[in-house]
Amino acid sequence: MRLGGTMPSLRGYVPLIPPVTILMMFFALPMGMMIGLSFQDGDTGSFSLTSYERFFTDDLALDGFFRTIVMSGLVAVCVTVMSYPIAYFLARSTSRWRAVVFALAIAPELAGVVLRTYGWLIILEDQGFVNDLVIQLGLIDRPLPLSHNMFGVVVGLTHVLLPFGILSLLTNIQGIDPNLEKSAQILGASRLSVLRHIILPLSVPGIVSSLLIAFTLAASAYATPALLGGIKFSVLATMIYQQVLFYINWPYAAVMANVLLVIVLAIAFTGARLESRLNSKLHVR
Amino acid sequence: MSAAEIADIELVGVTKSYGGNVVVVDNVSLTVPRGEFVSILGPSGCGKTTTLNMIAGFHEPSSGEIRIRGRNQVGVPPEKRNIGLVFQNYALFPHMTVQENVAFGPKMKGQSKSETEEAVRSALKSVRLEGYESRYPKELSGGQQQRTALARAIAPRPSVLLLDEPLSNLDLKLREAMRIELKEVQQQLGMTFVYVTHDQEEAMSMSDRVVVMSDGVVAQEGRPSEIYQNPVSAFVADFIGKSNLLPVKQARDHDGRLTLTLGGGLSLVSERSGDIPANDITLCCIRPENVQLARKGASGENLLTGRVDKLVNLGAHAELWVDVSKDCLLKVQVPVRRLQGIEIGSHVDLLIESAAIQPLAH
Repeated sequence: MRLGGTMPSLRGYVPLIPPVTILMMFFALPMGMMIGLSFQDGDTGSFSLTSYERFFTDDLALDGFFRTIVMSGLVAVCVTVMSYPIAYFLARSTSRWRAVVFALAIAPELAGVVLRTYGWLIILEDQGFVNDLVIQLGLIDRPLPLSHNMFGVVVGLTHVLLPFGILSLLTNIQGIDPNLEKSAQILGASRLSVLRHIILPLSVPGIVSSLLIAFTLAASAYATPALLGGIKFSVLATMIYQQVLFYINWPYAAVMANVLLVIVLAIAFTGARLESRLNSKLHVR
Repeated sequence: MSAAEIADIELVGVTKSYGGNVVVVDNVSLTVPRGEFVSILGPSGCGKTTTLNMIAGFHEPSSGEIRIRGRNQVGVPPEKRNIGLVFQNYALFPHMTVQENVAFGPKMKGQSKSETEEAVRSALKSVRLEGYESRYPKELSGGQQQRTALARAIAPRPSVLLLDEPLSNLDLKLREAMRIELKEVQQQLGMTFVYVTHDQEEAMSMSDRVVVMSDGVVAQEGRPSEIYQNPVSAFVADFIGKSNLLPVKQARDHDGRLTLTLGGGLSLVSERSGDIPANDITLCCIRPENVQLARKGASGENLLTGRVDKLVNLGAHAELWVDVSKDCLLKVQVPVRRLQGIEIGSHVDLLIESAAIQPLAH
């Protein structure tokens, strides 16, 4: 009886073997190697903290570090603010345009990051669409600095990451009982008061997860900052690339990768804690 | 018209249709005087919830007029209608305490802090929920959530309270207790209640007046007992309580007494000629409790004999299905103490009072 009882449960783990093997080989192992690499001396291969020391004393490296945080934070806020009305419309609308809006909101994801980033470059460049237009209209003489700076990168990344914000807010807002809004309304609350007192407080978990996902994806994005930011715009992702390809300094690249990993993990952990606290407090149906 | 005569709610020819051809509510007129407890009763899809939503202002009628205390409400948004609403799922704000939930209405209506506190106190007192002010909705039982929802709805002192099947999420015992409580709260506040339900017992037990709806139209309107005893159609007879609906082949009027010829050679006499011309009568309705077991050898009119086909003992009374003719099973309700000697297959004599036979046209 005991044998019969344990055998099937063991057998239940069999399908897990291939994915676990793949995860070990291509995720856990390289990750471990990267962490190990960051503690190595580039020349001798012995244990050393020199790469860490260099990172935390190098102004350029620290600049990139803070730029990464600022850029990701700005993107997270822009994505969430822009996603909110779209997600609310998608969650509540019964109109026939709902499907169209949903497709328009999600479709960009199909186009690929590089393609979309080049699209933005065409629009924002010094000789790009926007600058051409305003110069032709005679509103300005010299092109506005729309690309190769923080502005351009934030615009590009916001567009790339918008679907993630929409989807995480959509799930949350769909979980808020529409009768709550009706109740508030009939109790005398204006549209604005319903938003302020009912919908916003109840969608805080969705807002947190949207901020979280946008921040982590922005922090690790490479193509958009590289293309829209130009050479002088360095964030951790582009700096890692340079270390590996141009300077061939693997231990230093590994340090930067680890710093990025720590930022993302710290943000994800705090966010997840906050979210679960809010969820258990609200008991959103 | 003087102030006292103005009804709290008036619906005049209210119609709601979608896309021009799907008519959900069809030309409904209704007047609810101040302080009355009115139930809108009907099966799902009969248009009762749509009617409620139009009174609340969530839907606009396609045509017709809705007046609250004499003022036309078409185009007035819900937040400006001064109406209370209790939902089936209570819809309590999960991020607010009981106190904050109940205070929401008075606060939104711009009442001062002391006025709001007083309104909350008195509302919670009405529903006997004092001492629960700092609880969150998820920390309350179903019944307590129900009371909180009621307190929240009455706290801003609306002119009318709408209730959308508010008891259907509670278990039977609690539901029955809440019926009495709801009625008490209503009488104590003297507030007009419009109660939407598909549960005829709820409607019968609480209402001053019942409006039965079917397919978007008002099928019948009246005091609960009136509707039970004098249903105007087979639908109402069937929907409210239990009934035998027997097809009538021919009806003849003799000075206010009707002779109804049924299938299988049966014939019954009804004292209710009513408003229906004899030629239009196609059915008659007999309530199971109005059919009595007759003593052996009894004679007289409306005496039927049949074989017991089914017998269900419900404790206080029993239901018999008696085969009175080839294609006519009569449902009979008898007190359990009268069941002696009766089992499936027994032959019984049944007596129906002529006043208890209601002829129907459709």
